[in-house]
Amino acid sequence: MIAAEKSLAGFKSLLVIIVLTSCCLLGFASRLFAVIRFESIIHEFDPWFNYRATHHMAENGFYNFLNWFDERAWYPLGRIVGGTVYPGLMITASSIHFILNSLNISIHIRDICVFLAPIFSGFTSLAAYGLTRELWNERAGLLAAVMMAIVPGYTSRSVAGSYDNEGIAIFALIFTYFLWIKSIKTGSLFWSSCTALSYFYMVSAWGGYVFIINLIPLHVFVLLLMGRYSKRIYIAYTSFFILGLIMSMQIPFVGFQPVRTSEHMAAAGVFALLQAYSALLFIKSNSTAVNLGRLILFATVGAAGFVFLVVVTLTYAGYIAPWSGRFYSLWDTGYAKVHIPIIASVSEHQPTTWVSFFFDLHINICMFPYGVWLLINNINDERAFIVLYAVSAVYFAGVMVRLMLTLTPVVIILSSIAFSTTFDKYLYYDEDEEEGDESEKEKKEIVSPRKRDKAKQKEVTRSKFYIGDVGANTKSMVVMVLAMLLMMFAVHSTWVTGSAYSSPSVVLASSNPDGSRTVLDDFREAYYWLRQNTHENARIMSWWDYGYQIAGMANRTTLVDNNTWNNSHIALVGKAMSSNETAAYKIMRELDVDYVLIIFGGAIGYSGDDINKFLWMVRIAEGEHPKEIKESEYFTPNGEFRVDRLGSPTLLNCLMYKMSYWKFGLMQMDFRTPSGYDRTRNAEIGNKDFTLDVLEEAYTTEHWLVRIYKVREPNNRVKSLQIKRHESGIKKKTKYYSKKSSKRKRGQIKKKLKIVKGKKLRKSKSKGKKKNL
Amino acid sequence: MAEYLYGLPFSVVDPPNLRLKRPSWLVIPGPMLVFSIVMLSYFLVTGGIIYDVIVEPPSIGSTVDEHGHSKPVAFMAYRINGQYIMEGLASSFLFTLGGLGFVILDKSNVPTMPKFNRYLYLFCGFICVLLSFFSCRAFMTIKLPGYLQA
Repeated sequence: MIAAEKSLAGFKSLLVIIVLTSCCLLGFASRLFAVIRFESIIHEFDPWFNYRATHHMAENGFYNFLNWFDERAWYPLGRIVGGTVYPGLMITASSIHFILNSLNISIHIRDICVFLAPIFSGFTSLAAYGLTRELWNERAGLLAAVMMAIVPGYTSRSVAGSYDNEGIAIFALIFTYFLWIKSIKTGSLFWSSCTALSYFYMVSAWGGYVFIINLIPLHVFVLLLMGRYSKRIYIAYTSFFILGLIMSMQIPFVGFQPVRTSEHMAAAGVFALLQAYSALLFIKSNSTAVNLGRLILFATVGAAGFVFLVVVTLTYAGYIAPWSGRFYSLWDTGYAKVHIPIIASVSEHQPTTWVSFFFDLHINICMFPYGVWLLINNINDERAFIVLYAVSAVYFAGVMVRLMLTLTPVVIILSSIAFSTTFDKYLYYDEDEEEGDESEKEKKEIVSPRKRDKAKQKEVTRSKFYIGDVGANTKSMVVMVLAMLLMMFAVHSTWVTGSAYSSPSVVLASSNPDGSRTVLDDFREAYYWLRQNTHENARIMSWWDYGYQIAGMANRTTLVDNNTWNNSHIALVGKAMSSNETAAYKIMRELDVDYVLIIFGGAIGYSGDDINKFLWMVRIAEGEHPKEIKESEYFTPNGEFRVDRLGSPTLLNCLMYKMSYWKFGLMQMDFRTPSGYDRTRNAEIGNKDFTLDVLEEAYTTEHWLVRIYKVREPNNRVKSLQIKRHESGIKKKTKYYSKKSSKRKRGQIKKKLKIVKGKKLRKSKSKGKKKNL
Repeated sequence: MAEYLYGLPFSVVDPPNLRLKRPSWLVIPGPMLVFSIVMLSYFLVTGGIIYDVIVEPPSIGSTVDEHGHSKPVAFMAYRINGQYIMEGLASSFLFTLGGLGFVILDKSNVPTMPKFNRYLYLFCGFICVLLSFFSCRAFMTIKLPGYLQA
């Protein structure tokens, strides 16, 4: 009997391992769309910088990377890369590279970068499994692992080639939470040190670590409020806080922020509060007074208030930096729009619409409230944590599209709990009845391990999940519908991953009606041209979106890039783009610009081009130079932004307009539209006939997507400043006098023999001289 | 000696006889209350209320048809990053409805329930879940006409 049970348990754990392994494979495989369709290529914008930095680290070693001063970015300022990045990603990739190479498996660093995020997605589903198992049970954990592997909200940031911080940071986030739950449950120093270590990794990887360092204190605080304080919590939190604080300060980019900025003060405050609370409890345990409980309550509230006041005072005194704009905009949602246009201009910082929720989470968006309901009804220490996580993440996801990423794991965890509970209730009949249909993959994975230990837990199951007198048919119907929903989820995820989230955005693809694909490779064409045809130290001006790509692919110096740390520099570039030619030329000469690169989608109808981003350039420029640039001047009197004849003259004569539409007025795409018809904005351009004095066109790609202009040198022949004679007012002579004397009046023939009266004709002297020589 | 030290402040200070009372309105909220608050905020946030506040879109769009009549449009098609207020609220209503459907399904498992009520609960839950799911899909096809097609 015991042997049978043992083998059963062994079988079960084998199944769990198989399921989890296939989860990792599934997650990896479903992220390869881009690689299969195009090639193994780094995507988008930020990954190009990460790749470049990783490359640098792999070539020159870790310490050289930390001391790397990149003089090719932010010309003429340069950028101290080591102190301004979260190095976790680069360290991860290059250490994998190092290990593989020392094992004589030679692989290019680019391939590691491309495949890093899919590999980590497997780890993430393992972490989700662990976390869900700690919260609920193993069956829910397995479902969570499967769903985590394919959910679009997470796939969006972790497809192959999307080599970005988030790819590894989500794993670190979930894993930290898993370890935190573990340490709350056990109260062991080991687990809380592990939490701190994992937190350290998270800090090194992504700025989103602030979420952890606020959520965990919040959890502790809420547990205190709920009267659930225990020694375990004390041990877990204090050790995590101290270790985490010290370790997080080792990252150069973070530095002293954890003790200096408001974002981290909640953690310190809760730490102080916890000390006060446990000290009071200690006094209570040594005191004989009867009614000390209430006093402790009030003293704790007092202590909390005191801590809060101290933080506020220190902030006012200037010892603690107030909330940075990026975080402040999470609370005061209109803040960024008014004060920091550069943050508001990024499309992933836009507030979320309902579509994104459905798109990224599908059926889980409906399951999620049910999961919350289950947890709230069966609350304990660790479930309180996940409820807090859920509530805060929903709010943050509503403020910024990008933060859907932190919402996704908690939704998956809660909805897998919900699904699993429902299956638990409806999947069991009397023994003689058959199990429901097992065609569906996810369900099968959950059912199978459950089926094995069914016999063992039969009695327990019976009493726990007793389902009354609903017939077997009804039950199987419920199961079938749920399975169908899960199946739809899988279909949806695959579709979204394939069609929406796997575009490298370096290569544009459009599908034709017959199903074939047209690939527009204009970006790489232009960058390659820059790489081949310009001087090695040429300085390229472009809008900041393309800075990383120019640095990564063209290997040329850029003025501004996606690390938007210097607003005034960006504003200067924005000003150059939005001024007229003369003013722009002055700025470009000041900044030593050699080439200007712009993206123009009007010829093929690409909507993400610079004219559509143009208003942000104007806005950012206006923020720094309110006298020269005014946003209102770029609109028509009706307040419209249009590029056709009715557009505002300022717009039609600014540098960006001229660069975008240079010679575009001569081009007629087809016979239905007039020449110079902009297909993105569906308008015939307003100013077709203009000259470009300070720039000359250097290169335009096949589909006109990227246009590169060379900044002309100043003229060699400088016009004299003196007033020209004909303008100077001196009277012209009215009559023309020839300067030729009477002698030279006529044209004369050289060596013509001269006739002088009374003398013989003779040849000129020079000939005789030559003879003498 | 130590006792003398401890007693020293109390020779000056007369310890007050404190009667601290927790205010009566301050109770730990019950699960139902917490859940309702969470649900409400969930409804608002998934409906893109923050988007509505920041971007201030119209509640319903309008377009002009071929006869020149103005015609209301409920969905801002082809735009994932844009919405009208009403469409957001409608779909977040569906999300919430689906969630409640599952809760109702859960409720139908209370052991002491008459058979008829149990079936009624089951039926209602089902209707809610399926209705919300398929309407969401329909909304999605309006929003993105190419949804789930190649």
